[in-house]
Amino acid sequence: MNRTLEVIAGSDLVERPRRSRWPARLDYLQSASGLVLALFMWAHMGFVSSILFGKNALWVVARTFEGYYFFGHRYPVIVSIAAAVVLALVIGHAALAVRKFPINYRQFRTFRGHMAMMRHGDTSLWFAQVVTGFALFFLASVHLYIIMSNPGKIGPYESSFRVWDQHLWPLYLLLLLAVEFHGGIGLYRLSVKWNWFGGSNPDEARHGLKVLKWAITVFFLAIGLATLATFIKIGITAHPIYGERYVPTWQQDALPGHGGQAAPVAGQPATTSQAGGAQ
Amino acid sequence: MNEVKHRKLKISVLRYNPQDPESVPHMQTYELEEADGMTLFIALNEIREKLDPSLQFDYVCRAGICGSCAMLVNGRPALTCRQLTKDLGDEFTLAPLPVFELIGDLSVNTGKWMRGMSERLETWVHAKEQEIDLRRIEEPMDPELAEKLYEVDRCIECGCCVAGCGTARMREDFVGAVGLNKIARFKIDPRDTRSDDDFYELVGDDDGVFGCMSLLGCHDVCPKQLPLQTQIAYVRRKMVAMAFS
Amino acid sequence: MRVIYTDVLVIGAGLAGQRVAIAAKRRGHDTIILSLVPPKRSHSAAAMGGMQASLANVIKGQGDNEDIHFGDTVRGSDWGADQDVVRMFVNTSPKAVRELAAWGVPWSRVRKGDRQVIINGEKVTITERDEAHGLLAQRDFGGTKKWRTCYVSDGTGHSMLFVVSDHVIAEGIPVHERTEALALIHDGSRCHGAVVRNLITGELVAYIAKATTIATGGAGRVYRVTTNAVICEGTGMALALETGAAALGNMEAVQFHPTPIFPAAILLTEGARGDGGLLRDVDGHRFMPDYEPEKKELASRDVVSRRIEEHIRKGKGARSRFGEHVWLDITLLGEHHIKHNLREVYEIAKYFNGVDPVKEWIPIRPGQHYTMGGIRTKPTGESPTLKGLFAAGEAACWDMHGFNRLGGNSVAETVVAGMIVGEFVADFCDRTENDLDVSTGLIREFVAREQAKIDDLLHGKGTEDATRLRSRMQDLMTDKVGIFRTGAELESAVAELEELLKKSRNLGVRSKSTGSNPELVTAYRTQKMLKVALAIAYGALTRTESRGAHFRVDHPRRDDAQWLKRTLATWKDETASLPTLEYEQLDVKKMELPPGWRGYGAKDYIDHPDTSKRQAEVDEIRTKMEGADRFAVQDALMPYEHLLPERLRGRNERIDERLPL
Ligand SMILES: Cc1cc2nc3c(=O)[nH]c(=O)nc-3n(C[C@H](O)[C@H](O)[C@H](O)COP(=O)(O)OP(=O)(O)OC[C@H]3O[C@@H](n4cnc5c(N)ncnc54)[C@H](O)[C@@H]3O)c2cc1C
Ligand code: HEM
Ligand code: HEM
Ligand code: SF4
Ligand code: F3S
Ligand code: FES
Repeated sequence: MNRTLEVIAGSDLVERPRRSRWPARLDYLQSASGLVLALFMWAHMGFVSSILFGKNALWVVARTFEGYYFFGHRYPVIVSIAAAVVLALVIGHAALAVRKFPINYRQFRTFRGHMAMMRHGDTSLWFAQVVTGFALFFLASVHLYIIMSNPGKIGPYESSFRVWDQHLWPLYLLLLLAVEFHGGIGLYRLSVKWNWFGGSNPDEARHGLKVLKWAITVFFLAIGLATLATFIKIGITAHPIYGERYVPTWQQDALPGHGGQAAPVAGQPATTSQAGGAQ
Repeated sequence: MNEVKHRKLKISVLRYNPQDPESVPHMQTYELEEADGMTLFIALNEIREKLDPSLQFDYVCRAGICGSCAMLVNGRPALTCRQLTKDLGDEFTLAPLPVFELIGDLSVNTGKWMRGMSERLETWVHAKEQEIDLRRIEEPMDPELAEKLYEVDRCIECGCCVAGCGTARMREDFVGAVGLNKIARFKIDPRDTRSDDDFYELVGDDDGVFGCMSLLGCHDVCPKQLPLQTQIAYVRRKMVAMAFS
Repeated sequence: MRVIYTDVLVIGAGLAGQRVAIAAKRRGHDTIILSLVPPKRSHSAAAMGGMQASLANVIKGQGDNEDIHFGDTVRGSDWGADQDVVRMFVNTSPKAVRELAAWGVPWSRVRKGDRQVIINGEKVTITERDEAHGLLAQRDFGGTKKWRTCYVSDGTGHSMLFVVSDHVIAEGIPVHERTEALALIHDGSRCHGAVVRNLITGELVAYIAKATTIATGGAGRVYRVTTNAVICEGTGMALALETGAAALGNMEAVQFHPTPIFPAAILLTEGARGDGGLLRDVDGHRFMPDYEPEKKELASRDVVSRRIEEHIRKGKGARSRFGEHVWLDITLLGEHHIKHNLREVYEIAKYFNGVDPVKEWIPIRPGQHYTMGGIRTKPTGESPTLKGLFAAGEAACWDMHGFNRLGGNSVAETVVAGMIVGEFVADFCDRTENDLDVSTGLIREFVAREQAKIDDLLHGKGTEDATRLRSRMQDLMTDKVGIFRTGAELESAVAELEELLKKSRNLGVRSKSTGSNPELVTAYRTQKMLKVALAIAYGALTRTESRGAHFRVDHPRRDDAQWLKRTLATWKDETASLPTLEYEQLDVKKMELPPGWRGYGAKDYIDHPDTSKRQAEVDEIRTKMEGADRFAVQDALMPYEHLLPERLRGRNERIDERLPL
């Protein structure tokens, strides 16, 4: 006999050596990091799109994150640190997710063939997620590096100059498309993966989630494109004053000649900015 | 009754006999007149009887319950004995299920794969039956639980979910939805004495539940409409909860 | 030549074969199972309705016990059954169902309190007991006095088969899938194993074993219209027949089911009629009340099948390209009931006929359903004439079904026989005198003979086409050896089958592949099937009475005086075109339940001369023992417990029949 009653009854199981718990933790972390990033992107879109409400709005948002309203001084290093944290998160998430990529050409080809044959929505969505994720790895890193290495240079003019005069808009356009698709698909897949909103009829719920997913993607893409367009427009119109910083309207009286100072950066002599600007 | 005019079907079949060193995979097209209520079971048998006696395929129950006859119909896994030709176009293709060892033409060795899966996942109730006296009244079980168990016990091991899964196609050792569903089934069965720890041993890695990328091809092609999405999610949650406890 | 040695060889991986294997393996004997298909694809999976075991948990089963199950089974068999075996069976069946419950079958359970059921088409409220809550539930099935059929929703056989197959895996028993036994290796008195063909590579391998068990299921495919799977070709029975030593019992006893869907012949459960479904003819007329005013659609299987055929013969069938049929109308049950309580009926109609039974009628026509006959064995499962050969399940005739089996008794039989025969197989292997002792010359001879037959088919000069012979055989069987049988038709069927058999010795195949070759398989199986078909048809021709499912229009009465005996068919001479028929008398003087009226159908039969004497004896014992416990009475009438393997003896506990702690 090659099997004992113990094996069939499973009473020897406790004595078997135990497996690592890491695969479970990694799977969890992959989802958690994806979720945090996706939620961060919603917030991020909220902040960046403040430009749609006027230059002042973005200026306030940017200063807020520099701690201006808490400390009375700007600390751009806060943003750099935040960007570094997010970059770490992106890298961490990517490192976890990359385990799922096809590991060689054969696998890649098999999957492509499978997808073409099956013509199955969720299978194709996954592939879209891999492709966008791959793109994001580069695009997001570049963006974050720029944000990190330009402390204090976030603002209606500063950002617009970057988008337009420094020719970053193509990068942003791609980044926007990639991240909206990737995040939207990711959230949908998270909810089916963990059966979050399954309820009593998971099939119906899944259908609802898919509709919602597309709605969210369209919504954020629309806002994102409008935002990008606004940056471009500001970039074009403010071209003549390239390099200048924006001063919010209520501070414009306090500028030299008016006897005031724009929000000071901690530890730096206050930079001045010339009034006005196109518009 | 009234003689309706029947369609001419063009059925393209992937032919290949790995036993024969001369054979190379190729598509072969058969033309056949459709009949009322014709299923692929009837169509393929007619081809074998009238056109090509060497064509290989597997039917057993021809009633949609034994899981023998899964193939790719226009690229998608399906049980072909209950596939009416009237629900297909005039031209369609048939191919053997991928992943499984090919025996020849449309016949694949799902049985071998499934036995391997069963051995690996120990798909039986682990209990000390020496302690059960068969003369005595059986252990009671909650009627709802019994129904719930049957709901997921309906799997016929047809292999559609495996063939329809991109992960299984890329990674040979992936257990597939069929295996994960079984783990869920034994996990909710109070007669099975295995703990979450023990189940983790079986599926707690990237060839197990953490290999599943929620592609849901399995769920959407399962001919028995098993709730595979929720079953896999259930196993995943339990295994993750276990790992953090 | 490859030879594989083992203690126990089991041919067939349905419920019966696998349960035999588990029993033998647990007793320490190396066991190998052979199967045409993966075990879980065996036709046992098709049983939907359930398995009979007198647990008496539900209120409608209260009072049920082995005695009542025994009576139902013997009456059902029209007294053709071996009553010792029926006793062994009814006592083991509760143990079998409880064992399966422990192994993991998700049996449907009793829910305490009120529930609505449909009995004879009427809604009734019944109340289940508190103490039954959570125990195995039973449902109603034709021909039973109590609700006795344990079930798993609509997939009883499926769940049973999966649990037993998984247990085979747990025990580490190898199953050689996609292999086919072609011949038994024997010396005329002792069976040594089988010559087996690998269906993928075509290789012939000799399997040598102390004990060989055939559990190859039914032979439905000798008919054109059958509910059986395409692999139920009865070739396992032919293996025994072709030894010339072993016999087939009662092959003419073939059951027909009234409501397979038309034309695919996929079974629609009796539940469809039980819940109130009606049968209608070409004019939409409900015709069953015309024939059976009392039971209408709910008369027993054989009666309803006969009435439908009779009505079609009167020209009242609806016509289609595939022939004539009648309609099953369940539209009146309503969408909810159909989609929830009759889900599989709904799905079958939808998938196989594109019919929506909520709105439309379903075409049906009776078809072959079950093979009561099979390899004749003793109550131990061993052939009385070929030592070391055992048989179990539908392929066997140890004879618990006689001339008609009750619904739910056959999946029960498979596991019960598996348990019992498995123990006897193990006992057999335990005895040193049964150690392997076979000459390699004999093995070589058998393998060479089978190889020669295959070579002849592939490369010989044969010209006959197996598919044509086979479909002619299937037509003959369905048209002339079906539900209504007459001497003249049977005679012409036998004659033509003989012709076909002779032609089958001259078969040729077009595809020459020596490996996987479906045409070759069809060819050699057709040769075997023709022999089985002849055993059925010739047995039916010779039996000039009507008993159970065997209905002779020209001899409509049951004739115990002449025919209270079992047909035994052997094929002594390979060149013969007919089997040799012999008869084995059933001993009325030992019967616990002497022949009488079944309680339904015609009350018209000829008594055996011993019947009244035995009846008087039985009555006397019963009156003398008035008040004694039922086990004592039973033991006085027909002691049987000594026939059971020791570990399967003992009473069965019930809610109302507690065993002492
Ligand atoms: C549609 C349908 C519904 C039914 N419903 C019920 C029901 O509700 N209740 C009930 O009690 N009964 C029912 N029955 C009857 C019951 O299911 C069968 O009688 C029973 O399952 C037979 O089991 P078995 O183990 O004898 O054979 P099977 O399950 O048929 O297994 C036969 C095995 O033998 C193998 N085999 C055959 N020939 C060879 C060979 N030459 N070499 C190697 N292997 C071989 C096959 O591969 C298979 O594994 C139903 C039958 C049908 C057709
Ligand atoms: C920067 C913003 C990013 C966001 C918002 C984001 C979001 C998500 C989310 C929510 C998921 C679902 C997680 C799961 O299914 O478990 C996910 C999965 C994935 N992400 Fe990202 N991700 C980001 C960046 C990246 C990057 C840079 C990569 C590239 C390497 C990447 C690759 C993937 C892949 C391949 C998956 C699928 C993993 C799986 O199916 O299990 N993601 N992402
Ligand atoms: C803490 C981290 C981050 C900060 C502080 C930040 C800040 C900004 C700022 C200020 C802009 C405006 C343009 C500019 O000034 O260059 C911007 C635009 C954008 N950022 Fe980020 N970002 C962060 C992380 C990310 C990440 C992780 C992604 C995606 C993976 C991302 C995607 C984008 C996109 C797509 C735009 C263009 C939006 C549009 O114009 O519609 N950002 N970000
Ligand atoms: S889960 Fe569904 S698709 Fe997969 S094997 Fe089982 S029945 Fe087939
Ligand atoms: S298709 Fe495959 S990846 Fe998971 S959800 Fe199904 S098993
Ligand atoms: S042949 Fe059994 S499921 Fe199709």
